[in-house]
Amino acid sequence: MRRLILVFAGLLALLPIALGQNMLYWPDPTWRAPESVADKPNPLAQKRWAAAGGKKLFLRNCAECHDKDGNGLVKKHSADLLLPVVQQQSDGVLFWKITNGNTSRSMPSFSKLQELERWQIVLFLRTLKPSEQAPKQ
Amino acid sequence: MSWRRVILWLVCSLAVPSCSAQESPYFVTYDHHMEEPGNLEVETQSTMGIPRAGQHFYIAPWVEFEYGVTAQWTSELYFDSQATANDGALFTGWRLENRYRPLKREHWINPVLYLEYENLNEADKIQKEIEGGAPDLSLPNSVLRQEQDRELESKLILSSDVHDWNLAGNFIVAKNFSQSEGVEFGYSFGFSRPLATLASGANCRFCRENFSAGLEVYGGLGSTLGFGFHDTAQYAAPVIAWAVSDNATLRFSPGVGLTHQSNPVLFRFGYSYEIRGFGSRVAHLFGSRQ
Repeated sequence: MRRLILVFAGLLALLPIALGQNMLYWPDPTWRAPESVADKPNPLAQKRWAAAGGKKLFLRNCAECHDKDGNGLVKKHSADLLLPVVQQQSDGVLFWKITNGNTSRSMPSFSKLQELERWQIVLFLRTLKPSEQAPKQ
Repeated sequence: MSWRRVILWLVCSLAVPSCSAQESPYFVTYDHHMEEPGNLEVETQSTMGIPRAGQHFYIAPWVEFEYGVTAQWTSELYFDSQATANDGALFTGWRLENRYRPLKREHWINPVLYLEYENLNEADKIQKEIEGGAPDLSLPNSVLRQEQDRELESKLILSSDVHDWNLAGNFIVAKNFSQSEGVEFGYSFGFSRPLATLASGANCRFCRENFSAGLEVYGGLGSTLGFGFHDTAQYAAPVIAWAVSDNATLRFSPGVGLTHQSNPVLFRFGYSYEIRGFGSRVAHLFGSRQ
């Protein structure tokens, strides 16, 4: 029985690696978007084709830290965008975070991208598949 | 370098998959968008002055290294030079500038503080910013190079993104410690917009999204010895930028002189190449794990 538990624990520990997730990512609890932006709808929500442009923008501007798959493995402390803690945030919150950045964690502001382009990135983020794994606290 | 090599280099640089233009098209005006942390942008630009009677045509190239120290702090190092027809070519000095963005979030108006130290001689003609009175363009380089120009320059940069437009204004205060010119003032204003606001999924090179255009107006405002537009150089210049590849941008600006002390026409062109993750690559060389 003990052996079975050990094997199960080992498999559980390897699961994040198998899923390609960054378990070193620790969400910044102080990085909160204002409540007013939470319900802001994505103006491109009905234009799913725009996610292709979002992918291109993501690869150019975000993949350096978040990896091309969004799992943040390139730089160990970058956010794993596949995690539920990220994916459960509303479109408006993700848009706000891309726009403003989090300078204390070296996440730059991407306000240099056009507003619709930032929404395109949000659209693309929704195509990344979330997993059930929670971040390490 | 032979022409064949130049053409090969151009073809190679253009062969990189293209993406949308995000670099500002401005040459003189700064906006509030900082270099991303750890990225190094290498840029070569040139100012080409079409002279008035009695003056000589000149071209003033410079190289610029822009590094994102943090998300709020960008540092730049310049090396300036110039060549004047029927005169000569020379290295005119260096500049070190730092930009700091005090506010962490995006606001309606975003201020950036700018501080620059210049160690140049008076033969410098890149005119990256114009402050004080108009430069004397009729003196030969042999005279101008004798005059040192050690200057501390500060700017208040105010910039705003309104819908798809960027509006930016820079207010310059400069003090030359080598000469008694008082404290000099200058300004620049600019607005720009990309030609398309939605990125296409394709890697197209000539898509509208790869281009941005705008207008800059800049000039001197005299000094504490005489404030105002009198005897100053003033320019209005359309600007256009083209993201030729994922990392590279070409810029062009044909400026028009608005006063008699200005060059009638001032052409500017530049090429920039961004090396992403430069800081972490260098850190890795020295044994850092990150």
